[in-house]
Amino acid sequence: MNILGVGTIFQGGVGMRSFEKALEQGWTKPSDMDAKWAAGGKHPVYQVNIDAAPDRAVLKKIRRADRLSKMAVLAAAEAVKDSAVADLQHKSVGIILATAFGAHVTTFGFLDTILDFGEAAVSPTIFSNSVHNAAASYISTALDIKGPTLTVTQFRFSFAAALQLAATWLELSRCDYVLAGAVDQLGDVLEYVASRKLAVAADGKIRPFSFQPTAHVPGEGAAFVLLGNEQTGHAYCTVPSIAVNDDAEQATTPDVIIIDADGMQPDESIYASQVSPASIVTAYSPLFGSMMTGGMFNTAAAALMLKRQQYYAAPVADNPRGLKIMDRSGPASIQAIDCLCCDCSGTKAAIRLAALR
Amino acid sequence: MNDDTILITGMGALSAAGNTIAETLASFERGARNAGQVTLFPTKLKYPAFEVRNLPQQYALEGQRTLSLALAAVDQALADAGLAQKPGLRIGVCMGTTVASQLNDLAFYTAYRERGAAPMTAVDRFLKGNIAEVVSRKLKARGPALTVVNACSSGTDAIGVALSWLKAGLCDIAIAGGADELNHVPYCGFASLGIVNADLCSPFDRDRKGLNLGEGAGVLVLERRSAAFKRGKHSDLVLLGFGASCDAYHLTAPSPEGVGLKASLKTALREADLNAADVSFVNAHGTGTKDNDLVEGNTLAELFGRDLTMLSTKGYTGHTLGAAGGLEAVFTALGLREAWIPASAGFVNRDEGIALAPVRENTAIRGRFAVSTSLAFGGNNAAIVIGREASQ
Repeated sequence: MNILGVGTIFQGGVGMRSFEKALEQGWTKPSDMDAKWAAGGKHPVYQVNIDAAPDRAVLKKIRRADRLSKMAVLAAAEAVKDSAVADLQHKSVGIILATAFGAHVTTFGFLDTILDFGEAAVSPTIFSNSVHNAAASYISTALDIKGPTLTVTQFRFSFAAALQLAATWLELSRCDYVLAGAVDQLGDVLEYVASRKLAVAADGKIRPFSFQPTAHVPGEGAAFVLLGNEQTGHAYCTVPSIAVNDDAEQATTPDVIIIDADGMQPDESIYASQVSPASIVTAYSPLFGSMMTGGMFNTAAAALMLKRQQYYAAPVADNPRGLKIMDRSGPASIQAIDCLCCDCSGTKAAIRLAALR
Repeated sequence: MNDDTILITGMGALSAAGNTIAETLASFERGARNAGQVTLFPTKLKYPAFEVRNLPQQYALEGQRTLSLALAAVDQALADAGLAQKPGLRIGVCMGTTVASQLNDLAFYTAYRERGAAPMTAVDRFLKGNIAEVVSRKLKARGPALTVVNACSSGTDAIGVALSWLKAGLCDIAIAGGADELNHVPYCGFASLGIVNADLCSPFDRDRKGLNLGEGAGVLVLERRSAAFKRGKHSDLVLLGFGASCDAYHLTAPSPEGVGLKASLKTALREADLNAADVSFVNAHGTGTKDNDLVEGNTLAELFGRDLTMLSTKGYTGHTLGAAGGLEAVFTALGLREAWIPASAGFVNRDEGIALAPVRENTAIRGRFAVSTSLAFGGNNAAIVIGREASQ
């Protein structure tokens, strides 16, 4: 399975050029968001500016969609465009959308209508958009894709599990291409919950190699990859294996390991025990924020590194454990990268990406 | 005999039709429709619903009713499959749901809205309530775990995911199906869409006036014949094919031509290596709404012919959303195993706009292959083909 195209939307903009620019520039300060529960009434977040999205034609097609769906559609459309695969709507294409929390902002909006207007006067439009698979449905409609369309949720492992399933769809010829990705959004209720359970990085810096204590900065966004078995001129890399809650059978140690550490767990020390001393370690959560589906952006970064044969320095490189950190950007020779995701129970997922031959 | 054939070695189901498979079959046989006014939450709405009664106490998890239902059905299925806890076994768990995927607790949200602060109890239940994760951990399983949230086709899609995992070798055994509780929020939401019936639903009937919501869980244990053989387990029920497709048409309405449903059925039959004529009956999605039944009925007639034996079991369970595909997969397998299907409850008058009609009476089944379909919000369609192997 190869990654043929990648599309992203995050605080830094829409599309892989924006993402690459962020990787090159390094850490940028998050923005401030009003929060009635936060000291000083504000807290740091990495927030997407949908209004700045250049693809107005796509947005017009989904004008009734909520913010979550809009981010998902924009990223999916970018992945298709980036792949340069022509006439995708006439090909056999599946969609797998992963999300940790789904349309929670719209769901709470629907609860508002129950509380404000009573059970019999709630909004059908808001209810429709609150259903978990609305975003995938909007992708299907906006891009005219009619293959199997699935929405899945598995908290931290949502994206890895989606990618793993995409590989089986391609292997079994359920479709010729799969548009797989993840989306999650900011919202005051879940940020309140996160602030009750986790420390917020007061200076706005996620320190992914500190491991304990941790601090987070909420983020939002979407990333999609167009996957297929063919090797196109635009292809990024191949995906030889994905292991979720299982041992990956790897013959070689990866050159680089990208860890999903982002302050969303009070103790992320498990990552220190999982990285090989022979591999260079990096993490990019300080660019897009803390989110359970943040692995989608790390996978996008890995794909870009393999395509460009380029290192992108870890944006925040505080390194109290003395790991072999990717501390410089520049040309490199990279054969394999592992994107590693762990949760506090010890469950892990590893996505192996490798250079195309 | 193909060693890679996917056997159905265990089944579990609970719904308003019964808390076990035996109770369910008894309800089907006598045409019992156990619906009533909602008792699970206070509501001023008067739409009847199909609630699960007398949930066994050991499964009564406070604030996690969907998980309770799921665990009860999983335990039934594991017992049926003769599978005790097997630490380290490569068991995939794929479960569909709608309610358990959302933090839509009205008490929590009301407190947050009014005071800007709320107790974390509901949050903790939500964060610890991912069905696939809970089941996988309970079994101490190694292998993929995934919760499918594809609205009303979630259960069927979850079974399709499990089929893919097994065929791709990601696990040796898979537990798959769906679970959903009757919840206040979708109860209001479906009412707002104007598709809920104030009386009991009547799928495919000329005078149908919408669906009734229900709750439940339906679970299959699936395994490759080679894995089942190793542990001395045999079953003549097999999962033969799966197909899914999106209409790419509208968020809440099915494509009038049934584009996605047709594609799903053709894919599932192709994977099963069967023709439409081989299918002895179809357990339709059949919600009792105007649009669904019109599109589904005519699509089934186009593919299988006007004489197709067809039913909807939602007259016994209500529409159980994410559980529907799991429950109906179990009911379809039971139809083949027991060699009869129940009358399509609620159906009285034929709709001349629909080219076929469901069965009015308990009906003998002589064939070996059946199909179960799901149509979902978002334009999702899914179908599975279940078979019963010929006696050796």
